[in-house]
Amino acid sequence: MKKFMAIVLMMLFSMTILAGCGQKTDENAGSNSSQSQSSSAAAVPKGVLLMSTTTSTQDTGLLDYLAPIFLEDTGWNLQWTAVGTGQALKMGQDGDVDIVLCHAKASELDFVEKGYGVKRYPVMFNDFVVVGPSKPIEATKDIQTVFTQINSQKLSFISRGDDSGTDKAEKAIWAALKIDPKTNEKYMKSGQGMGDTITMANEKNAYCFTDRGTWLKIKKDSTVNIDLDIVCEGDTLLKNQYGVIAVNPQKYPKVNNQAANDFINWICSDRVQKIIAQYGVDKYGQALFTPNAGTNS
Amino acid sequence: MRIINLKKKLGKFTIDIPYLELESGCIHGFIGENGSGKTTTAKLIADILKPDAGEILYDGLDSRSITMTAQKPYMLHTSVYENIIYPLKIRNIKPNEIEIDTMLKKYDLYEKKKQYARSLSSGEQQKLSLLRTLIFKPEFVIIDETLSNLSAESLELFENLILEIQKACCITWVLISHQPHIINELCDTVHFFANGRLIESGKKEQVFLYSQNPIVKTYVQRQVFGLLKER
Amino acid sequence: MDIINEAIQVFTDAGIGDAVRVTLVMAVCSVTISSFLGISLGLLLEQYNFPGKRVLIRVNHTLLGIPPVVVGLLVYLLLMRNGPLGMLSLLFTIKGMILAQIIIITPIITSMVYSYAVNTAPAVRAFAVTMGASKRQTKILIVKEMKNEIYFAIVTGFGRAISEVGSVMLVGGNIEDRTRTMTTAISMLKSQGIYTEGVTLGVLLLVFAFILQWAAESFQKRELENENY
Repeated sequence: MKKFMAIVLMMLFSMTILAGCGQKTDENAGSNSSQSQSSSAAAVPKGVLLMSTTTSTQDTGLLDYLAPIFLEDTGWNLQWTAVGTGQALKMGQDGDVDIVLCHAKASELDFVEKGYGVKRYPVMFNDFVVVGPSKPIEATKDIQTVFTQINSQKLSFISRGDDSGTDKAEKAIWAALKIDPKTNEKYMKSGQGMGDTITMANEKNAYCFTDRGTWLKIKKDSTVNIDLDIVCEGDTLLKNQYGVIAVNPQKYPKVNNQAANDFINWICSDRVQKIIAQYGVDKYGQALFTPNAGTNS
Repeated sequence: MRIINLKKKLGKFTIDIPYLELESGCIHGFIGENGSGKTTTAKLIADILKPDAGEILYDGLDSRSITMTAQKPYMLHTSVYENIIYPLKIRNIKPNEIEIDTMLKKYDLYEKKKQYARSLSSGEQQKLSLLRTLIFKPEFVIIDETLSNLSAESLELFENLILEIQKACCITWVLISHQPHIINELCDTVHFFANGRLIESGKKEQVFLYSQNPIVKTYVQRQVFGLLKER
Repeated sequence: MDIINEAIQVFTDAGIGDAVRVTLVMAVCSVTISSFLGISLGLLLEQYNFPGKRVLIRVNHTLLGIPPVVVGLLVYLLLMRNGPLGMLSLLFTIKGMILAQIIIITPIITSMVYSYAVNTAPAVRAFAVTMGASKRQTKILIVKEMKNEIYFAIVTGFGRAISEVGSVMLVGGNIEDRTRTMTTAISMLKSQGIYTEGVTLGVLLLVFAFILQWAAESFQKRELENENY
């Protein structure tokens, strides 16, 4: 009886603490640890398709939206682990997954060239934006102005610094603009996922480089007020292309190549491409991804 | 020292002593069966336990000079020597090491002077505890079974030591013991406890030989037979 | 040999050095403060009876069971810009991490010291009374007699401090050179698929843990040797 009371007390205690703060955790805010999620299976699936992907496809909720449709259409149960692009490719390279969906074109092509993947198919793109306090940087289309200003005025900037696709894209832009961001001592590396990095930037009143999808979702769903705004969007340097690659069955015979091929055909089909184009419109007022399968992106 | 209406409850066990006088300068014996309240009463006198009711009148005795040793004495986590000098240390008295060495030699502890106190045998721990207690010259000493594990030789040494100190300094002693020969050899007065009550108090001979109380009589008879058996 | 060379190479890498520095600064500061709080609280709980003591002990036990990441979340909410302590700007700083660690470690040290004290202090106190020690001398003696157990509690706390991930990640934010500890670095490196540096840090932590374990064991062994006669 005493024990039972202790347990009840403990639960009450923790609940009051949580309730007292009136905040809830943002479950979908990207985390850098790998998380496995499975879609709810309505029909009996004929098997599992294991995918490694970047945190952005999970953080935007796209996969949660697509997986049940995929199950219904093909009978495969899509399960994924959302990690940084670096690790997503590494998992494919080790044969731990059947398929990889990520956004770092150069690394992806290299992955195929080394024989780990069969072929890379472009799927869709979204774009990157720079978010941060509206002063002193005024919203502009020109990424060069923004990055130069951050560097020269020594403004706080939080980079992911985790070698993810977004991080690589950010580094590539600094390099293209020939600016060394590290000369600014307020340039920090969080080493965490996109969601965590945005909330951190919000707390520190700093700028950060993010994909639009995660930004929209955080801005809308965060229990904490997000005081940041987009300060730069629309520059050609800010385009973010996603590609999908089946892991090479000749290298790893145990991978589920049939399911992987089904997924590629399915996601590149006109119908699914249209579904992707509609995703997020009702919720955020704008689409999070622009489908472009079959193009040369 | 006088005890008036002393009451103490420990679980189901109760101590209730309406009156007890311990004449100063005497060696008193506390006797009785196990669990009769001897040790608890002693702890109340030594201020280790606080009474629930009643009072203990110390008649001018300084509470710091009342001391008590236990059957299993507490050994500090340090050497024999450090244990012995602890009471001096807290009184800011500089120990005379030569004197202490002589004393340790006399009681056969010199070899173990540097040794860890908790590694001593129970008899040695009792010897250490007695020396540690007597070193700061207390005026009221309670010895609770601390002579029980000594060898015959050591026992004789300590009995002599107690009598010597008694003669020279005229301090008050309380001996709690199950060994009738110790009580017989050292004590002037005995106090008999049963079920948390003091049931007989008086001169040693009077209690042992002429007591009318059946509990005391049974106890004395058993102890005397025991004594005979031992011989 | 290649592995060793590689390990040395990786170790001299500034990133790892910084992670080790941040970890040690955080652990030493939080354990120092937690020890002070935990030892005092443990001893006070043993010595005094006061209304609400049992509740306090129960709360302490509850805190022992709370996952560190929950503590991290609570501290995060406290320190947020819009949180009650937002004006201190402690979020994503070592100080904030130390605060979270104190909340995690103090109950551990408190409960260890308290349970040792319950077993030890009454006997020491009785002894001190018979020796005629003053109240102050008695308190000093209790601490001295519990020396080994107190060391053990501190070592345990330190072990917890260096191995903590969840709360440190949340409150510290894993910022390179500033709040990135060895454990958060490992978790980050793993998420990037970089294993060599992660393993190096892991081995270093293992060495730390071994040293601590050895220290703790030698205290316990001393105790055992002493008691066994």
